[in-house]
Amino acid sequence: MAGTLETALVQTLNGVQFGFILFMIASGLTVILGILDVLNLAHGELFSIGAYAGIGVFGFVIGVVGPPSGVLGGVVFVLAVLVSVLLTAALLLPVGTAFEALFLRAIYDRDQVYQLVLTFALLLILLDVKKFVWGNTSLRTDAVYSAINSIPTSELVGLNYPTYNVFVILVGVAVVAGLFWFFDRTKTGRIVRATAIDREMATAIGVSTDRVFTLVFALGAFLAGFAGAMAVPPTAATLGMGTNPLVLSFVVIVIGGLGSLRGAFVGALLVGVIRSWMITLYPPGEIAAPFAIMALILLVKPEGLFGTWGETA
Amino acid sequence: MPERVETDGETRYRFLGVEATRREAVALALGVVALFAVPDVTRLSDSLQLGVIHQGLLFGFAAVGLNLLLRHTKLTSFGHAAFFGTGAYATAVLAKYAGLQSVGLLLLGAIAAATVMAALIGALSLRHTGLYFALLTLAFGQLLYAIALGQSALGGSDGMPIRPGPANQPLLLGTTFEPAVYQILTYYLTVAVILVGLFVMYRITQSPFRNALDAIGQERTRARFIGLPVRRYVWAAFVISGVYGGVAGGLYAVVRQYVRPEGTLFFLRSGDILFMAILGGFRTLVGPLIGGVVLIFLQDVGQDVTQYYEFLTGVVLLVLVYGFPRGIVGSFRSGGVVSERLGQLRREPSAVADWARSAVRTTERKAVESLSSLRIILFGVD
Repeated sequence: MAGTLETALVQTLNGVQFGFILFMIASGLTVILGILDVLNLAHGELFSIGAYAGIGVFGFVIGVVGPPSGVLGGVVFVLAVLVSVLLTAALLLPVGTAFEALFLRAIYDRDQVYQLVLTFALLLILLDVKKFVWGNTSLRTDAVYSAINSIPTSELVGLNYPTYNVFVILVGVAVVAGLFWFFDRTKTGRIVRATAIDREMATAIGVSTDRVFTLVFALGAFLAGFAGAMAVPPTAATLGMGTNPLVLSFVVIVIGGLGSLRGAFVGALLVGVIRSWMITLYPPGEIAAPFAIMALILLVKPEGLFGTWGETA
Repeated sequence: MPERVETDGETRYRFLGVEATRREAVALALGVVALFAVPDVTRLSDSLQLGVIHQGLLFGFAAVGLNLLLRHTKLTSFGHAAFFGTGAYATAVLAKYAGLQSVGLLLLGAIAAATVMAALIGALSLRHTGLYFALLTLAFGQLLYAIALGQSALGGSDGMPIRPGPANQPLLLGTTFEPAVYQILTYYLTVAVILVGLFVMYRITQSPFRNALDAIGQERTRARFIGLPVRRYVWAAFVISGVYGGVAGGLYAVVRQYVRPEGTLFFLRSGDILFMAILGGFRTLVGPLIGGVVLIFLQDVGQDVTQYYEFLTGVVLLVLVYGFPRGIVGSFRSGGVVSERLGQLRREPSAVADWARSAVRTTERKAVESLSSLRIILFGVD
């Protein structure tokens, strides 16, 4: 009996961990959608570039820091990993900026279909840029995963659960808190929200929407890169890895409500946990379960759980 | 025989309910002849392959269906591969598990399956418009892809042959043929289906139904106020466009005799289908079909030249979005970019110099603009 309970707990934690990664991707996508009115199909590719670049940055930083030894070494190592993830995400800032400023800005006033086609074109281009830079084989970095797992955390409470996943959950909580703080408490965050509520009014009181748009897009790219670097250590970076998170982010957005950050958070955790339960309960349902929830939400509450964004974060 | 009619001071020809000016009629006749001549033309050169053009026509036909939504209701479906794949998989499943052998029955099965699928997906995703709709169609399409990938009964990622056994060929006219003959016969079947499909689409675009769809595309609320059943009409258009995808998918399965999730259901195929409509010109009837042939041909050539052909496709798309938003057919038509420029050139050959000057000026202005936005991004406004 204790065994089943433990499995259930571990599965739930796995789901929560995946949910946080999904939130990092979906939050950028949903904020871009809510403010710029652009569905960025290349968002999954930004995520996977984060994963590929993350492997390189991890290798470099860990080469400098060395494997962890003792308590202090462990702390330094975890900090080094965090710094690597932040560095990787920072690499995507100029990519996001260029996307918005060079490509998207020219066609805001055109038919929406052109925006879709444009982001699709960028998706195709990034797909082959990855192939050109990192080759057609999958890449992995085992050092980070095994080193962090050697630090005991869940074992202390008698649970057999990888420390890296605990790390992801903690970082995820920090990212969620940081994002809500940014949009709720800081001036820039409020300006962004004001732009989301009423673009014209925001311009009238002196907000440069151009800069807000660039900022939001860069933020989305940053979050996608962050998620990629966080997600890659337990698995491998592959060329096609961007598609599934992208589509699951769509599901999350529909569940949570367009542009709603709170909705994205609830939706991401819901999708993550239910997917993870399905793996033990009924494996073939793993793929379909998130879509089933999405269909249900569409039927019952088409505007999503939290409706549109703006008034509250 | 064609009958002459005078409308708005223009001489137009009417034949089988299709009305066209002289120029359009000639283009139409040439197009039909070209379609029938393809198997002979491809024999002349190795770089032209019947299979490639055939595949282009099939995907292009799906794009013609997608265009009904895109052109009139202004809805961008990013999941049209779902219907293409449903048609293809329905054909394969019926041939393998239900033992159906005749091509006609298999195609009917594909149509039925695509209709049901489009009705279902449409009922759910048409609750939203705009980008939300695009996102939903993409998500549902990927769901079908994931299902096909995961079910061993559907062959998983390997896909499935449409009839097991050495012949692996559905029956055409009750018999099997040599592979080469089969390819040509199925090609003519496709041509026949396309001509009928285009004719039906033409009739739809001449009907009040199309006007209603246009009204809905322009302003939904007003369309509802004047009493149009918006939901039902858009849903009907969605199902019709799905059926076009299903027919194309069914034919694809019959021709290739093998279906794979990657080639039929993957979301990049949805992107391709949308791309074809834009490439050919989504404000025209036959544009998507031409876009289909051109795109598949370019991809085929690209694959031979470089392994980075997705990159090439992406660049072509960018050029299209910024330079020729009206597509191939739209640009050559009267009022399009290309035909305007050609006319100018014919009147005044020195116009080239003007274009060069204006191109230089535009590049200059853009460079200054991007430099200043770069400065703003780096250092802020003040």
